[in-house]
Amino acid sequence: MNTDLVIENLLQATNFYSLDESNCDEFVKGYIQKLIQDVVVYVDSNITVGNIEFRDVYNVDHEISQEITGLPAAYSAVDGEIRALTAFAESYSKLGIAEYDEVCKEVLLDFLNLHNGLFIVYLSENNICELSLSVPKQNGKKSIQSPIEGKVTVVPINFSYGTVNFLLVELLKNTK
Amino acid sequence: MTKENAKILVCDDSILARKSLTNLLNALGITNIIEAANGQAAVDLCIAEKPDVVFLDIIMPVKDGITATKEIMASCPQTKVIICSSVGTQTHLKEAIKAGAKDFLQKPVEGATLKQVIDHIF
Repeated sequence: MNTDLVIENLLQATNFYSLDESNCDEFVKGYIQKLIQDVVVYVDSNITVGNIEFRDVYNVDHEISQEITGLPAAYSAVDGEIRALTAFAESYSKLGIAEYDEVCKEVLLDFLNLHNGLFIVYLSENNICELSLSVPKQNGKKSIQSPIEGKVTVVPINFSYGTVNFLLVELLKNTK
Repeated sequence: MTKENAKILVCDDSILARKSLTNLLNALGITNIIEAANGQAAVDLCIAEKPDVVFLDIIMPVKDGITATKEIMASCPQTKVIICSSVGTQTHLKEAIKAGAKDFLQKPVEGATLKQVIDHIF
């Protein structure tokens, strides 16, 4: 099965096409589509996508994050149980990662940076907007909030080894 | 100068990116490779080691790749800088070329694309 069809099937099997447009604009939808594509292409195609949610607050346990800068601006992050994050890092890197150590965190940062980079390249190539990225960073426990109500988007991706949550927090919207 | 005896500096804050690029360069017969994890370390290593080619990421701590490129061009103008980044937007491409970079590799780097860049240099 080709990658586009795999991604389309994954999106149709979740609530992606019934998301409230007031909560989920083209920027967020584009981010989710690219995220699923990058996970399928670079990590694992044997996944399902859980219900995409919009929250006011999200409390992370083991956060890896990176800001998307420009207009619109956003904050992206990866969170999940240590076992799932470790297996995800190994599946992506093939470095023999078996523990949630510094190398594992670096690999998670690498994936987030790769995905965010490819997303802003897509926006640039389609003349939608020109954005940049901050240096990705590691945090521990943290409470994530958006200045815009209900704008913490949570995309749970289910692997054979557990669920990894990807977060997109809108900071500044492009009102043009 | 042939690619086999060239000295290459790979600069990326990601250990995975450094390892991937080093493996691809090794596959092309290039083994004299030194590494740096941020732009400032790359500038310092360029001055000390005078590499022939530098592969630089853009988004890095301490000093970003565009700033590092400008400084490398000022202190080691014979060194060829190749930007190797996930953020290949129009703005970043223009900034990289303006700073003095010779080429731009979009991550994830594939062996065939890297070979084209290397063949173009040597």
